[in-house]
This record gives sequence, C-alpha cells and structure tokens, in this order.
Amino acid sequence: MVVPLNTWILISNFKVAYNLLRRPDGTFNRHLAEFLDRKVPANTTPVDGVFSFDVIVDRATSLLSRIYRPAPADEAQPGGIMELERPLSTEVVPVIIFFHGGSFAHSSSNSAIYDTLCRRLVNMCNAVVVSVNYRRAPENRYPCAYEDGWAALKWVNSRQWLQSGKDSKVHIYLAGDSSGGNIVHHVALKAVESDIQVKGNILLNAMFGGKERTESEKRLDGKYFVTIQDRDWYWRAFLPEGTDRDHPACNPFGPSGKSLKGVKFPKSLVVVAGLDLVQDWQLAYVEGLKKAGQDVKLIYLEQATIGFYLLPNNNHFYTVMEEIKHFVNSNC
Amino acid sequence: MGPYDYGISAGSSSSSSSSCAGGKPTELDGLLAGAGYKVRSSDLHQVAQRLEKLETFMVNAPTEISQLASEAVHYNPSDLASWVDSMLSEINQPFPVSSSDLSDFSDFHYMDDLVTPPLQHEVLTDAWADQSAQQQQPQPPLQQQQLTVVAAIEEDSGIKLVHLLLTCAESIQRGDLALAGTLLEKMRALLSRVNTGCGIGKVAGYFIDALSRRLFSPQAVCAGSVLENEILYHHFYEACPYLKFAHFTANQAILEAFDGHDCVHVVDFNLMHGLQWPALIQALALRPGGPPLLRLTGIGPPSPDGRDSLREIGLKLAELARSVNVRFAFRGVAASRLDDVKPWMLQVGPREAVAINSIMQLHKLLGPDPNRGSPIDSVLGWVRSLNPKIITVVEQEANHNQPEFLDRFTEALYYYSTMFDSLESCTLQPEKAVAEMYIQREICNVVSCEGSARVERHEPLAKWRARLGGAGFRPLHLGSNAFKQASMLLTLFSAEGYCVEENQGCLTLGWHSRPLIAASAWQAVPLPDTNSLPTINDCVL
Repeated sequence: MVVPLNTWILISNFKVAYNLLRRPDGTFNRHLAEFLDRKVPANTTPVDGVFSFDVIVDRATSLLSRIYRPAPADEAQPGGIMELERPLSTEVVPVIIFFHGGSFAHSSSNSAIYDTLCRRLVNMCNAVVVSVNYRRAPENRYPCAYEDGWAALKWVNSRQWLQSGKDSKVHIYLAGDSSGGNIVHHVALKAVESDIQVKGNILLNAMFGGKERTESEKRLDGKYFVTIQDRDWYWRAFLPEGTDRDHPACNPFGPSGKSLKGVKFPKSLVVVAGLDLVQDWQLAYVEGLKKAGQDVKLIYLEQATIGFYLLPNNNHFYTVMEEIKHFVNSNC
Repeated sequence: MGPYDYGISAGSSSSSSSSCAGGKPTELDGLLAGAGYKVRSSDLHQVAQRLEKLETFMVNAPTEISQLASEAVHYNPSDLASWVDSMLSEINQPFPVSSSDLSDFSDFHYMDDLVTPPLQHEVLTDAWADQSAQQQQPQPPLQQQQLTVVAAIEEDSGIKLVHLLLTCAESIQRGDLALAGTLLEKMRALLSRVNTGCGIGKVAGYFIDALSRRLFSPQAVCAGSVLENEILYHHFYEACPYLKFAHFTANQAILEAFDGHDCVHVVDFNLMHGLQWPALIQALALRPGGPPLLRLTGIGPPSPDGRDSLREIGLKLAELARSVNVRFAFRGVAASRLDDVKPWMLQVGPREAVAINSIMQLHKLLGPDPNRGSPIDSVLGWVRSLNPKIITVVEQEANHNQPEFLDRFTEALYYYSTMFDSLESCTLQPEKAVAEMYIQREICNVVSCEGSARVERHEPLAKWRARLGGAGFRPLHLGSNAFKQASMLLTLFSAEGYCVEENQGCLTLGWHSRPLIAASAWQAVPLPDTNSLPTINDCVL
C-alpha cells in the first residue's frame, strides 16, 4: 500500500492544514483556509494548449466559474487575436461542468490543484471544462452548492458559443470529485425535471454517507488520510441543522431517498478508490443506480487512495483519464 | 502570469517523478509546484517525515490543535518545508515521537525514491510526456505570440467593440495609422449604440479616447495639476478599497517591523494627503510598552502656488499625534521626481529604525531617460544604503510595461475592465465618478504616452521580486494575521467580489479572482562588513 512521495506530501499537507481549520464547535476558520489555499489566476495566454478565463454566472450570488478551452491550433487572424467566446468547432465538443472537491468546505475553482486538474481534463478529453465556484459550507449549507450547480448548468446550456457545430446543442457532462461528485448527482437529478439534457455523470471518489457505520469506514478509519470523525464534521457543516446523515443529500438511496426507477437519468461513470473509507457508500450508490435500471459503469481501483487524480504520477490517474475520455467522446 | 509562473529551475528529471536521486539539489518537485508548493526534490523525504511528526502530534494531542490554529501566525504556505517547521516549533511536545509510534499509527507509507511509473504509452500525448513543460513558459517569439481579448460580454456590440479596439491597437503597432483612424471612427459609431453607462461600453470609451490621443495629439499631456491629482486620488481612495488595502497592509508590516524600537522614522515616497498615517500613529499610540518617537518624512511634488502643502499635512498629523500622546516630528521633502531626492535630504538618524513606504511609486522610475542613468537603480541604491528595517511596496498587479504596444494595450484593457467592474459596486457619489477619472488618467498614460511621458509602467509581482532581489533586498513575508485583517477590511464593503489572496509571502487584492494590486515587504540583505576585510596594513608583505 504505497503512494508516491510527492502525492503523500500533498495530501498529508491538506490533512494537517484542514485539521487546523475545522473547529470542534462546527465553525470553520475561513480566513486561514483562504490564506493557506494555493490559488492561481485565470490565464488567457495558452499554456500547454489550454487557456482559461473567469465568468460571472450569477451576479446575485457572486457565482463565478472558470472556463478552460483548448487553444485553437490555427492562427485565425493576422496577429492571432483570439476570442474567448469563439464558437466551438463544427464537430461535437463535450462541455464538462466540473465541481471541485473539498468536502463542501474547502477549495475553489482557482485552487491550484483544481486548476491543474481541469487543464489536464481539457487536453486528455478534448473538451471544454467549466469549473464552478460553488458556495461552501458551513457558511452556506445545503442546498446552496446544488443551487449553484443548477445555475451553472442552465448558464452553460444557454451559451450559444458552447454549442457543438454538428447539432447546435451544448453537449453537457457533469463531473466532480469528493463533494463535487455528490453535487453532480443532485444537479443531474434536478435537470431530469427540466428540458436540459445531461449526457453523462462522472463521479470521482464521490462524497456520500449515511447514519450507519459501514465496514469500510470502520476498517479504514484514519488509515489513509481520512477519518470518520472528519467526515462527520463536514456532513454536520453541510446538511441542514437538526438532520442526520440519512438526509437524501448525503444518502440518496438511503431510507429517506427515492428510487430512480423509470427516471431518465444520465449514464454514470463512478470511480471508487479501494483505500477510501467511504467506498461502501459509493458502491451502494452504484447499486442504487443499477437497481433502478440506470446505465452505470463502476471503476474500482483497489490500491488507490483519495486524491490519486491530483498528480499524474500513478497508473490510476491514466486509467481514469482514459475512461473519462471515452465516456465523454462516445457519441451515443 | 500563468499557473506555471513559479520560477521553477529547468530540468525535466525531477518533474515527472517524485524524487530522483540524480536530480540537482536545488530543483523543485515539478508536480508539487503545479499544485502551488515549492519543495526541493532533495527535501521531499525530510518534509514527509516532519509532516508525519506533525500529524502524529495532532492525533495524540487534539486540544493543542485549536491553539495552533488560533494563535500561530502562518507565513508563505508555498514554502511547505518552512511552514511545517514553523508549526513544529510552535508545538510543545510532551509526547516523544519515535519511529515505532509512527508505524503503529498507520500501516501507510510513502514510496521511497519513486522512479517514473510505468506509463501507458498510448495514453500519453506530447503535452504530458514532457513534464518539463510545467515550468515557466518561455516567452514565445514575437510573431507567434498569441494575443488575447477580454471577454465574458453578453451583447454582440460589446464583443465587436473589443475586437475593434484590439484591431486598432494592432494596426497602430504595425504603423498603419490610416486604418487605425478608420477603426476609431467605426468604434465611436458603435459606441453610440452601446450602453456607455457601465460595463464594456464605459471602459471602451476611455480606451477609444486614449487611442485617439495617441494617434492625433500625442503631445497632449495626460496628467493634471498637483491639486487635481490630489483630488482624484482622494476620491479613488474613498470609492474602492485598493488604496485602503495598500495602506492597511503596509502599516501592519511597518508596525511589526518597529516592534522593540524607540526611535522610528517613516519615509513616505508620496505623501498626498497623508491618508495612510493617522492609522499608524494610532496603532503606535496603543502599542504595549508605549509609543516610540515617530518621525515622518513625506516626499511630494512642490506646490505650484507657493503653499507648502506638505507642511500643512505635517501639521495636521502632528496635531493628531499630540492628541494621542505620540512624540512626532514631520519633515517635508519637495521633489517632482523620486530620483531627485538625495538620501541626505531625509536626515536619517543613526539609531532610528527606518521604514520606506512606496505606494505605487516605484513603477514610475522604470521609464527610459538618457540623461539620468537608471532612476530605479539609483533610488533602490540609496534606499539600501539607509539600511531600512522594512520597505513596504505596493504596486499595480499588471504587465503594463511590456515592450510591444499591443501587449500593453491588451493587458490594460483586461486590467482596467476588471477595475471598472469592481467600481460598479460603489454607490458613493461623487466619489465614484471622480474615481473613474483617476483611473481614466492612468489608462490615458498607459495607452497614449511614450518615452519619459509614460510613467504608468506597471509590472507584476514576479518582476518586482526579481528586481528587488537583484538590488540586494530579501522578502519579509506578510502573514496570516495581515491577511485576516485585510479580509475583514473588505467585509466593510458591501460588494462581494473583492478578494485578498496570499502569494508566496505577499498579499494581493483583486476583483473576482483577478489580482489587481499587490503588497509586499522587503529588507536589505546585510552588506558585508567592510571593517572585517583585510586592509593592506594587515597583510604580511
């Protein structure tokens, strides 16, 4: 059970820092969190073939998103003036709406780790990525993150310049890690009742839970960066006060959840790390989708820990990127 | 100003693997650098061990964590090794940590000396095979340099305007002035169809004016009178938080630098109305142990009408100081240019702790002047000779001093659009309107002036770091306490959108994740003691 040295340092550093930020009384040291978080600005100059810029999706909630696009291969005009909102090509270009992780409390779209991840997604999937800077707990509890996700989905769907040339439609995929994975599910659920089509969901080490203590939680508690105690803290910070972890936001197929039988839900790609203590909940999620007759592909990575996708220094990273690429590029 | 602007030393060997035994000792781990952390490859093991120690402590003594969290001041989190060490030194360790404790705690280890993992060759594209691309992008040759546009605009006219502005700037750069003129006409026509009250319409108008000036009346001066400038400045100060942030952050750093000193001397490179100083005077008054003797030397342009405005400000500050029992002395130095100032004019005493305060003044020294050598070098030279305790530097976080006009123009369009956007949230009038004039003056100077007339030569933090480092200064990191106070200052403004960020020991204030102003602090690297060098008399011949 080994992890590359720099990955270990990266995730351990987060673990140590996050310990300082969570207060026992349920409040969060936001100033210190923002101070410690490594951020990068958007950059309209292409770096490794990708450029980025920030947009305001909703002024009322100050909802920003960072858009990542592949730099055009051709020098369109003399002097190479590039439009940020230049329409996509004549083929199909997937638009991945990405929700960063951080257990609903940490990180932002402009966190370095997520900026880097989104850039990699653009190159590996030939996609446009929209990283949503959703409101975080504990200052903004359920359902703020979901509402922001929904606002971003509507915004993306209504951008003419994000439409694929082939059918003048925006080809939308939702993706997220940790809390972002959880948001993916709930935004997709909201979309079902609308006329916005989500072509697929990608959940990376998604954050789910429940009242019960599962076998994986007990077995892996404290072993690989994560503890049951910190998971509990984050749920208490996100869920409405007075509710428990069987709330459907946390446990979508639990006692308070509802079945998705007969619902036109997007196909799902669910990635589970074998050393993530939350895996039993993630596997239960997969089961819940299967039982409801939904299209779901599970990728179980036995030796992977949380955050394996943050650095491209392990096989799991490349396996998963390849799967995501096929998932968003298969024209079904 | 991209995500890879970490000044990583060259070399591909350390980039894709975690710790290559063959890597040079000063090389940074490329992957951690991409995540915002500068750790030398050779330090990885040590950092990991110390992190483990810290973690173990946290598990064994959870109540101590809150103390660490609330009282410790953190500095420069990018330097992970230092950060971990500073936390370890804060800890009072009753629990000896032996290696057996660590293995009991977790059966989870990191892999030593990871070699490049077996890569799935089909998956790799060129972009990822060469991890060395993750270092600072070298400046591409001019003809290939991609030029970019500000956007996120809803209306088509807005997009057209931006397009025209850039095309016009590009034609000016090429020397096609006829085309530029035609485009200006087109833009003015388009402007009449766009809402010039806010957003792109407003900022475009100023840029069209500036381009017009550049084409047709380049001799026309952008700057106003000294009095006008002061009024504009004061309204800009009130309308948005940029100057307040600058003052606030600099004062915090100066206060800390003056700790333990009884005689302190602040040299302000641009006194203006002395808006920065009442807060420092009051903070010094409340200092535990009592205030020091404070001397303030304010530099400013000479008043044209014979008024000694510097002295007037000094008197007001003296009155304030008296009211809070701070012994205070003021001196005004009238100079139209900073490089006209000679250090003897400042009359720095031998036992004083000196703070040099430069709020948006250094960039003005970057202009070419055949008669004056290099103004920035001469000023930084005499600053260093004063051996100040601290130099506080605040500058616009923008690349407005690039050699090519189109690059400057494009950057300015992006920068000032963002700044105007932030100003939209201001409801104070006439502060907002006059603040816009203040910004408009800057735009005018960046776009329509050249040579020694172009004084708004803003450079980004990375460049100032290199410049100041090369001039014999080292950074004094601004910490989490300064960050917290700056963040709290912002909550006084109703606009949600301003954000303070930590950038390797410096703080920036921006709007919607675009940093617009950067504050940093510096200290002179001690000069070698010339008395200790051998003299001829010491040598045995």
